[in-house]
Amino acid sequence: MITIQKEDVDIGKMINDAKQRGTGAIVVFDGIVRDDDIREMELEAYEEVATKELERIATEAKKQFDLFSVDIIHRIGRLAVGENILIIIVGAGHRKEAYEGSRFIIENIKKGVPIWKKELRRNGDRWVQGEHQHGSGKSP
Amino acid sequence: MMKVKVRFFARFRELLGADVIVEVGERTTLPDLIKQVTQKNVEGHNAIFDEHGHFREYVILMRNAKRIDIADAAMNIVADGDDVAVFPPVAGG
Repeated sequence: MITIQKEDVDIGKMINDAKQRGTGAIVVFDGIVRDDDIREMELEAYEEVATKELERIATEAKKQFDLFSVDIIHRIGRLAVGENILIIIVGAGHRKEAYEGSRFIIENIKKGVPIWKKELRRNGDRWVQGEHQHGSGKSP
Repeated sequence: MMKVKVRFFARFRELLGADVIVEVGERTTLPDLIKQVTQKNVEGHNAIFDEHGHFREYVILMRNAKRIDIADAAMNIVADGDDVAVFPPVAGG
């Protein structure tokens, strides 16, 4: 499942669903709203494009790391401290491919998927600066 | 006249609104289009363009869901029904 949604998911169920004959390793990445002296975080996406980008990254990761399955849930809307923002579940035959595939996916999401975060702080709100600041419009 | 949709995201959305349908004439380029939309909003305009009227280097443009390098924007003539998106650097994950 690759989706952008407001609702949280049952990670335990997703892990079970990801298991296939031959699966030897599942790596779960769970990105969480950190308590950086914020009240909440607000997430926004250019949904049509972001979903396609997530699908493209998942397809590329499967091919490059020989993964059996990739699930990506990116949440949007208002999230409180401690809530899940991004869940990536990667299934593979062995841990090496699963870890490397998971890392590839999160780094590529950070690089180019049109999603933004705003920290709602006690002393004023602030858009989170991306790690990739150039906006020359070149494909990531 | 042609109708084009312009969408803004994140900080640009807060300054300029989520989306707007614009009527433009023949031979309108992408920079012309965005300037037309932002001309009455100084703060929004200045977030996207520098003092020389060039796109700020962090601005990302998409036309019909395809990225357009800001260096090539002036060569892009918009067409009827185009969907143009303008946004700051992404910060998901």
